[in-house]
Amino acid sequence: MTTTQPDFDTKPDTSQRVYLSYIDRTRKFYLKQGFDNPYRWAHHNDSPFTALRKPLSESRLGLVTTAAEYNPDLGDQGPQAAYNNDAKFDRVYTRPSDSLPDLRVSHIGYDRQNARVDDLAAYFPLARLQESVAAGRIGELSPRFYAVPTLRSQRATSERDAPEILELMRADEVDVALLVAV
Amino acid sequence: MSLVARHLEANGIPTVLLGCARDIVEQCGVPRFTFTDFPLGNPCGKPHDDETQRGIVGHGLDLLESARGPRTTVQTPYVWSDDESWRARYSHLGD
Repeated sequence: MTTTQPDFDTKPDTSQRVYLSYIDRTRKFYLKQGFDNPYRWAHHNDSPFTALRKPLSESRLGLVTTAAEYNPDLGDQGPQAAYNNDAKFDRVYTRPSDSLPDLRVSHIGYDRQNARVDDLAAYFPLARLQESVAAGRIGELSPRFYAVPTLRSQRATSERDAPEILELMRADEVDVALLVAV
Repeated sequence: MSLVARHLEANGIPTVLLGCARDIVEQCGVPRFTFTDFPLGNPCGKPHDDETQRGIVGHGLDLLESARGPRTTVQTPYVWSDDESWRARYSHLGD
């Protein structure tokens, strides 16, 4: 994303906020690139809340991801892939959750310098959740997992994709949902 | 993804979100957020580190049960690396 990489201290400068603000960093990045209309992130002062109706050990859990199914026709989607806009998907999809799919994240703006994505379980925790079911921590998994597109349209996400996921989860009688933001 | 969590929750399905971009998720506002201070891309643990992955998913499952109200964030205890320069390197702008 950038050409200059000075020697960075291994310890942070604690005269500044140590936590990375992705909103601030993304804004500066786009302004510096000459885009004068930075992305407007979602902001709410409130949040809905629903308490669990039964113990997790008796609940059916639905997993939601933004990862894409590997498609060899859509360019490099490997662990070293640059940002690959062609690999984006534009509609909600589901696949069975009783086996591990081949899901990739080359279409997402993750930290390519520092994160590695050569292990599905680091961004799609289906194997870990299957273990949690076997251990009795979760009642069961929904027969399907659910994938939501990353289209940078909050309207599409809120008004089209989220209602579709809700409808699918209701059909699958999902009790609780675990969502992963890559 | 935060918007999906809000929609499900508003319609009766309790949710927990696992992620690494604390400011983006908290500014949107979600019911339950399990935050891990890792570079974007590995929200469920380090690659090939099953123990950390189990820990993060476990914290997420715990939070589903333990949150008393919305906007509850729990930070997992995991550290990406002793070399903390990954934060400064992200989208470094040369200034």
